[in-house]
Amino acid sequence: MSSTSSQSPLSKEELKRRVSEVIDFRADELVSLAQNILNNPESGFRETKTSRLVSNKFGELGLRSRAGLAMTGVRVDMAGATAGPTLAILGELDSLIVNEHPHADSATGAAHACGHHCQIAMMLGATMGLMQPEVLNSLSGRLAFMAVPAEEYIEIEYRDNLRQDGKIEFLGGKPELVRLGEFDDIDMAMMLHTTSNPDEKKLCISETNNGMLAKRIQFIGRGSHAGGAPHLGINALNAATLAISAIHYNRETFRDEDSIRVHPIITKGGEAVSAVPSDVRMETFVRGRTVEAIMDANVKVDRALKAGAMAVGGQVNIKTIPGYLPLRQNKAMSDVFKANADDLVGEDNVGHTAHRGGSTDMGDISHLMPTIHPYVGGATGLGHGSNYLVEDYGLAVVTAAKALAHTAIDLLADGAARGGSIVSGHRPEMTRPEYLKFMRGLASEETFKGT
Amino acid sequence: MLTVEELKQRACETIDKQKKEIVEVSKQILSHPEAGFRETKTAALVAQKFQELGIAHESGLALTGLKGRIPGGAGAGPRVAVIGELDSLVVTEHPHADPETGAAHACGHHCQIGMMLGASVGLLTPEVLAQLSGEIVPFAVPAEEFIEVEQRLDLRSQGKLEFMGGKQELIRLGHFDDIDMAMMCHTASDMGDRKFAVGGTSNGHVVKYVRYTGRGAHAGSSPHLGINALNAASFALQAINSTRETHRAEDTVRIHGIMTKGGEAVNAVPSDVRLEWRVRSSTPKVVVENSRVVDRCFKAGALAVGAEVQITTIPGYLPMRHDTRLQDLFLASARDVVGEPATLVMPARRNRGGSTDMGDLSQLMPACHPYTSGATGPGHSKEYVISDYESAVINPAKIMAMVIIDLLADGAKQANAIKATHRPAMTKNAYMKFQREQAEVIDFDGGDGD
Repeated sequence: MSSTSSQSPLSKEELKRRVSEVIDFRADELVSLAQNILNNPESGFRETKTSRLVSNKFGELGLRSRAGLAMTGVRVDMAGATAGPTLAILGELDSLIVNEHPHADSATGAAHACGHHCQIAMMLGATMGLMQPEVLNSLSGRLAFMAVPAEEYIEIEYRDNLRQDGKIEFLGGKPELVRLGEFDDIDMAMMLHTTSNPDEKKLCISETNNGMLAKRIQFIGRGSHAGGAPHLGINALNAATLAISAIHYNRETFRDEDSIRVHPIITKGGEAVSAVPSDVRMETFVRGRTVEAIMDANVKVDRALKAGAMAVGGQVNIKTIPGYLPLRQNKAMSDVFKANADDLVGEDNVGHTAHRGGSTDMGDISHLMPTIHPYVGGATGLGHGSNYLVEDYGLAVVTAAKALAHTAIDLLADGAARGGSIVSGHRPEMTRPEYLKFMRGLASEETFKGT
Repeated sequence: MLTVEELKQRACETIDKQKKEIVEVSKQILSHPEAGFRETKTAALVAQKFQELGIAHESGLALTGLKGRIPGGAGAGPRVAVIGELDSLVVTEHPHADPETGAAHACGHHCQIGMMLGASVGLLTPEVLAQLSGEIVPFAVPAEEFIEVEQRLDLRSQGKLEFMGGKQELIRLGHFDDIDMAMMCHTASDMGDRKFAVGGTSNGHVVKYVRYTGRGAHAGSSPHLGINALNAASFALQAINSTRETHRAEDTVRIHGIMTKGGEAVNAVPSDVRLEWRVRSSTPKVVVENSRVVDRCFKAGALAVGAEVQITTIPGYLPMRHDTRLQDLFLASARDVVGEPATLVMPARRNRGGSTDMGDLSQLMPACHPYTSGATGPGHSKEYVISDYESAVINPAKIMAMVIIDLLADGAKQANAIKATHRPAMTKNAYMKFQREQAEVIDFDGGDGD
């Protein structure tokens, strides 16, 4: 062994071969880990079982982890042979809530309808591969393996209560980790998300995602007997449905290239069918491809909400909550990932997507540092739907782990030449203080009297 | 001296003798319908008929009105107006519509002119007129239908009128100052086997002229640069409809309107959208309340898309208040003419939902506005036609002549009694003040705060 360490560093190809060997050797364990998480789904900031599973796995691997980051996050750090940039490999802990999903928790409705369970397994697979001493000793810089909470921006009322209790400030896991300084020492970040879109093939390079703002809305009317005295009531449900119509009336002004998405739900629509609804609550996102486009749509949405209140002579309280920034992936890092994807699944099986309408807090990270968020196939059904299932765990976990580990090797081998040049050539959109200031500036609350 | 019954009999005989000519006047008017304040041909015809009958008159009152005077032969006394409305509606698809203007008598006003002249013919019977005191005032009045708001606003801005209903304008100009009581009959198509109805009431209303201003833009290439005034208006209408659950049945609220301009070209974001709107109810208080609700909804439309809106509220009509003694006289004469089973007394609260400026007049003086049968089809629709001119023109001509004989015979004993004891709901000054207070222009910019 001592003779091995005295030799010159292994070639990248050799490193990748060794990493893949380890991952293949532990493939069954990784798949069953993913399925274990699938069977214990937990939504964001509540991922206690999943978090414990990750900590235990790190422990079994002899790695010292830090847990409880942003409530449930877990992180392991390891150093290469020499100094260099730090690369974070992320996996998301949280599930969605899709009651009708075949793997939904019967008590909470939580379900992995977005494949995050595979992310944890692939992140751990990459950990297992890259932690091999002969691999690590051939790399420069540092690696941070992070299981991060709460990527799905859901249960807004619950999270807003956590916020009011001082347990979190931001409602997404990564923004919260940024606030807590967990990304201060990270120079590059990557993760890999499952996809069910056949056009995205086995592995897929993507470029951008929508950013978004979240809104909690309360229409306040006046209750009254709906049969006996409707003339004394002010119908808050009418205000809400009119506000939704008013939003629709603005859709023609949304530009294709801005990819605006506004999709409210009513979380409380009245209390008794025989009473004029006086308290109606809504949640919505306002998504768009750029911050400017989101802010433009947000003005229109606020106006539409007020028009709903004015239409019936009621009130509306509009709380705007910072969401996620648009995702912009680093081209050079994507190129590195693409080359490894070509090697792993063949060039014909690597797809390309320009823009996706969903949002991720990886977008926030992408405003601070070089970031990639490519996709891996293996899933079927509609994302966030009850039929979203991972069918090919070999691809979604094992190949995915290799793709992450191989990319890490390309970035950090050779004295981290590639990673170093990506970091030094990257101009972040924002510094961390600028980011925090911007996000805090988005938060607002307004009460409008439509009388 | 003839008895009152004999006087009525003579008047009716005269009307029967000239029945054909009287009905012919109505049919002639049917064939050249003219909407309010434009009734020049109709006015000329009335002037000619007045002349033929030797009735002194003034013309051009409130643009097209004609006020005749038939002094009784038995000395001074109250002046009783017999009103006929000159104007038609605009119902392009009506079988008798003017092909150019779309004007059509879909509300039977052409019969009113006939019955007004018919009543005059009966009362002009020499032995009848000799025994009447006071004066009969056959009054052809313009513009009862409150339509073509934009055109009338133009007339207003030219200083040609202030109010947009004919009787309102005639009141303002003082042409009712010397009138002591007023009557007219309106045709109806919804009376079943009844031929003549008294009682009930009508809605008061205000009128709105609404103009949305958005921002035009190419609807295909740059809708994001536009502000869609049609969407603003559509939202407002949805908002108005959502308030209907707050209307109490007893208030007979009616809120309705039309869009007179909904855009200019289908490939441009509409930037100029216009509506005429109406808010009706059985009491002026509820009209005012709902007028504010409607204003709020129109503003909400502007706010919904960031457009501007100008809401011009125009004084409308007041609810009809029938004088019960006039009504009793009408009922008695109607029983004589059509037989008791064919008469109908509507309870005072029975609100037919529509509005008439006879309501305004009824706030100032004893007035009565009964209904006569003879029409078929829904009022204001292309199906509304007169199928029975005897019921629609001749019967009411006789009944009005008989009521006037009741009022003005015997030294105008009954008319004097009604005049002496009538308590008007408003003085003319209070009326003018109230109506002028309804006039308002609201400018609201829903794009403020962008």
